[in-house]
Amino acid sequence: MKQEIKNKIIISAIIAGMCIIFFAVMFMQFKTIEETDITAIENMRETELRTAIAEWKGKYEEAQKQLEANQKSIKEYLEIINDNGEASELVDKDLEESDMKLGKTDIYGEGIIITLSDTQEYIIETFDLIDLINELRYAGAEAISINDVRILSSSYISQPKDGLTMISGQRVTSPFVIKVIGNQRYLSSSLNLKDSGYIDRNRARGMQIELQTKNNVQIVKSTNDRETKYMKMEEK
Amino acid sequence: MILIAIVIGCILGAVIGIYAPMVPYTYSGYLAIAIIAALDSVFGGIAATLNKNFNLKIFVTGFFGNAILSILLTYLGQKLNVDIYLAAIVVFVGRMFNNLAIIRRYYLNVWENRNSKKTVNSNEKAQ
Repeated sequence: MKQEIKNKIIISAIIAGMCIIFFAVMFMQFKTIEETDITAIENMRETELRTAIAEWKGKYEEAQKQLEANQKSIKEYLEIINDNGEASELVDKDLEESDMKLGKTDIYGEGIIITLSDTQEYIIETFDLIDLINELRYAGAEAISINDVRILSSSYISQPKDGLTMISGQRVTSPFVIKVIGNQRYLSSSLNLKDSGYIDRNRARGMQIELQTKNNVQIVKSTNDRETKYMKMEEK
Repeated sequence: MILIAIVIGCILGAVIGIYAPMVPYTYSGYLAIAIIAALDSVFGGIAATLNKNFNLKIFVTGFFGNAILSILLTYLGQKLNVDIYLAAIVVFVGRMFNNLAIIRRYYLNVWENRNSKKTVNSNEKAQ
């Protein structure tokens, strides 16, 4: 009898437990469905939502890719612009430098000023000037002018007749003021060499020579513009 | 006694269910199929009780086993992209109707028997 009651109690307990589980799950489900219906998603099925999400994701990825590509090309363009800027700056610099070297600009710098004057004993000749230019170039002169006529690689000094000195077609007369830009020490010391230097040699012959060093020698640009007709650039 | 247990269990379950946290919508499909399976087991159990061959072990294992199996099948179906849960629903609901039919017939029988007994009794009294 007791055993029967015990069995009945066990059975009741088991069934009650099952009922609890069953109803709990069922009501959870009810609640879920109800709430889900209330919130947003309305009549859409999960699969539909999934496809919609996948679609949007695809679109998003596509847009992202596009964005990345665009950003990349913008970067490239910016780089190109920068390069161009640099290149043109370099070209400008080169141009300035070559202009300066070709004597197309007024320049200044440390250097010396030599003044050669005729005396009664000695009249300065073309060769004295040429000799001096040679000496100065040897001593590292970067720019030279005689009586404000710029001496360039294309300059020539001629003496069509006695007492007339022409530099690149311009007439110059004594006193000759020769302005030189370069290392003051080298220039003056090479001219000042004892006995064999330009100054000693020519003073001995009666020429009047003055030499002064200056930190700011100003040399004007060349007024002589020569056209180049025959020379051409060798193609690389 | 069993009836009281059932009633108490139902009420307790309902309360727990109401205050339990919400299940994510994605998993509610599994839960639904499990409920159908469990419901099938319950009707099976009632039918068996009426036929006097109720076995608690079979009932309990069927209750949980069917629920878990149906959940697994549904999951598999989703992985295979086949709506296997439809087959499960068809089977469970079909069996539910069978069991309901059995229950209905049993009670119809009982009712008819009672009626006939009454008529017999009244006839006897009349005689």
